[in-house]
Amino acid sequence: MINFEKYILDNGLTVIVHQDKTTPMVAIDVCYKVGSRDEDPARTGFAHLFEHLMFGGSKHIPSYDEPLQKAGGDNNAYTTNDLTNYYLTVPKVNMETGFWLESDRMLELAFSQKSLDVQKNVVIEEFKQRNLNQPYGDVWALIRGMAYQVHPYRWATIGQEISHIENATLSHVKDFFYHHYAPNNAVLVVTGDITSAEVMKLAEKWFSTIPARELAPKNIPVEPPQTAYREQTVYRDVPNDALYMAFHMADRLHPDYYATDMISDVLSNGNSSRLYQRLVQEKKIFTTLDAYISGDYDPGLFIFSGNPSEGIDLEEARAELENEIELIKLAPVDARELEKVKNKFEANLIYSEISYQNKAQNLATLEVLKDAALINTQMDGYRAVSATDIQMVASHIFVPENCSVLYYRAKKQKHD
Amino acid sequence: MINRSIAPNVQPIRHIDYLQAEKELLGNDLPVYYIDAPAQEVVKIDFIFEAGAWQQDEKFIASFTSYMLQEGSERYSSAEIAEIFDYYGAYIQAGADQNFATVSIISLNKYLPEILAVTEEILKRPAFPQHELNVLLEKHKQKFKLDNEKVKVLCQKKFTTVLFGEKHPYSINNRIEDFEAITSEKLVHFFKTYYHSGNCRVIVAGNADRQVHLLIDKYFGGDDWRAVSGPVRNFTVVPSHEKYHKLIKPNSLQSAIRIGKPCVGKSHPDFPALSVLVTLLGGYFGSRLMMNIREEKGYTYGIGAYIFPLKEAAYLVISTEVGSEYTEATIIEINRELERLQNEPVPAEELETVKSFLLGEFLRDFDGPFALATSFKAINDFGLGYDFYEYYLEVLNRITAEELQKLAQTYLSPEDMYMVIAGAK
Repeated sequence: MINFEKYILDNGLTVIVHQDKTTPMVAIDVCYKVGSRDEDPARTGFAHLFEHLMFGGSKHIPSYDEPLQKAGGDNNAYTTNDLTNYYLTVPKVNMETGFWLESDRMLELAFSQKSLDVQKNVVIEEFKQRNLNQPYGDVWALIRGMAYQVHPYRWATIGQEISHIENATLSHVKDFFYHHYAPNNAVLVVTGDITSAEVMKLAEKWFSTIPARELAPKNIPVEPPQTAYREQTVYRDVPNDALYMAFHMADRLHPDYYATDMISDVLSNGNSSRLYQRLVQEKKIFTTLDAYISGDYDPGLFIFSGNPSEGIDLEEARAELENEIELIKLAPVDARELEKVKNKFEANLIYSEISYQNKAQNLATLEVLKDAALINTQMDGYRAVSATDIQMVASHIFVPENCSVLYYRAKKQKHD
Repeated sequence: MINRSIAPNVQPIRHIDYLQAEKELLGNDLPVYYIDAPAQEVVKIDFIFEAGAWQQDEKFIASFTSYMLQEGSERYSSAEIAEIFDYYGAYIQAGADQNFATVSIISLNKYLPEILAVTEEILKRPAFPQHELNVLLEKHKQKFKLDNEKVKVLCQKKFTTVLFGEKHPYSINNRIEDFEAITSEKLVHFFKTYYHSGNCRVIVAGNADRQVHLLIDKYFGGDDWRAVSGPVRNFTVVPSHEKYHKLIKPNSLQSAIRIGKPCVGKSHPDFPALSVLVTLLGGYFGSRLMMNIREEKGYTYGIGAYIFPLKEAAYLVISTEVGSEYTEATIIEINRELERLQNEPVPAEELETVKSFLLGEFLRDFDGPFALATSFKAINDFGLGYDFYEYYLEVLNRITAEELQKLAQTYLSPEDMYMVIAGAK
């Protein structure tokens, strides 16, 4: 159980405080409700590029990092489809430095052409390092492109193509800032050995004078239900073939989400899971095989990915995998299997409560989703899932017309 | 109105309190180090054996011995072991590095009796079944082939070979054929020689209450797993005659660069000061290399400089992946930064920044049970005590720009550096 208090400042900023007496540090997490799903299709990758610019200095503070390092702090940030999260840790005695830095860049960025030019280059190198120059680096772009036709999840957070990043101008940057970066579009979470009185005093001092802003309307197109099977084969310069199957699933707040998450655990969480035991260990069809959910806020994907063993063709591997998928639709999971998966969720929840930093991030991202209180209540959602729920949800999701398959073939084999 | 141009007051951190591990010798002389920091009802237990690459006669034997421990024992099959860990929401991870094999367990306290009972089986009576070995071999062969497609992996392998020589265990010059030579007989032999109470240490962190002590003693305190280790092994470092090495990976969009050399290890008096210097060069976001090559020029997504202290040797290395077209320009800038450290004293403000950052890191390194365990292992692996950290803090607080410049002249001459580039042409 994680106790926390929640306040809303007059300008709309949500502030959440959780006391953890075991640490001399404080975590400050500022999460903005903007991700790659909020991007213009002609300017993909912008939310992530913007995350880089947030470190290029703000209105009154030329360098973000240096003062934080002087205070003994450390920080980083990430962008997902749904949100952009900035987090720092700093010794408690110096926590005001964190409030000062975060509030100034929420107030206004420095907007320099030099910073934009350099960060465009850095992001392009990141694009190469993670995707273009990486074996299997384009898998996600291919799967997204197949599974989504209108929803912005069809492009990757890093962006659809390098030119979108190259073409970003300072006026696009300003526009993006004033429509998405605002107290009324953000959540501030502070964890550590602090009281809410201490935190609220600093939050009022540094954040309350930032004006609320008119936000860009959330016009995210809804992906229509998939009605026909989709498939794609690519040949790439990689050492091994790989198989990917993606199925549309419920959104993060849908009641079916919990059962769906548990299906992925029954199938592939841990070495005792079905797919590992039967298809990796016993039959040696795959050398690696995973089932997981994308965890997106809007309706996301349930994904299977695996590398077949040497001498096993992708078609054969797929047939074996589909047998296992049929099994979870045909028969309810047995009581012990269900209990095992629930035990694992409970244990993971307790493990995640060890770190004050983790807790800050979980509170922030859940508040952006809907309500930070989910941190304590979502376990009930998992506990309530029955064997019948799992069977029903599996039967609903795992049908051919809801499926996109990617055959990722190693080039050499084409000529064998 | 508040004046946002003025930074809030910052208090320097000068002194750090941290919890130290307490040693307990079991009846069979097995040392157990307890870090009792009960944030949650969770405990992490590391069993550390001196059974790494240093001890193996052939490639991969140390790591495959560690991987195979959970793949079946006298009493349990591989599937049963997996089922027990998963059922209780516990985790086991095993692996071997240059000198040590480590088996780590994380469990809720309430399930520790069940988890340690099976862990005893794993550590004392593994069966090394052939079928499971074949499965693992196939998986690791595929992973090996994949890794060899990455310029950073190719570069790092070559770099360690250049520094230590083909035959040295710190050189990661393994080949795909090395997998073919792995047999369960070799693994059993390695296991019998190195996995026993006389070659083991245990680090327990988290809620290490009385029950935990009793269980550890019950399962691991007996004389039933004593044995004699193999003889002490010695190897000679044979560095490459050439300073510059180039690996071609056609069609690469980026080049991986490693520039570095052997350096002093943790027990040398210069080590803490050298760590400060290397941090200043490339060990944090505001470092010289990051500011110049990423934030000023945009050649890379990231660049860093680090010291790798190993048990028998240490080296420092600058590493990055840059757009192929920026390779030459990056090398020039790296050398310029090395020379700048040798020729000019570090400005007072920058020194203050790096000191504050490292003091903050120090706090983070001793915050929470798992961080405390990692920091303890980082000295215990080297036979060092907490006075290492006391000395490090002392150096960190008093080090001057002049000392750092002198140190740079001793340790950071560009002409002493080995360089490996992996990339297109």
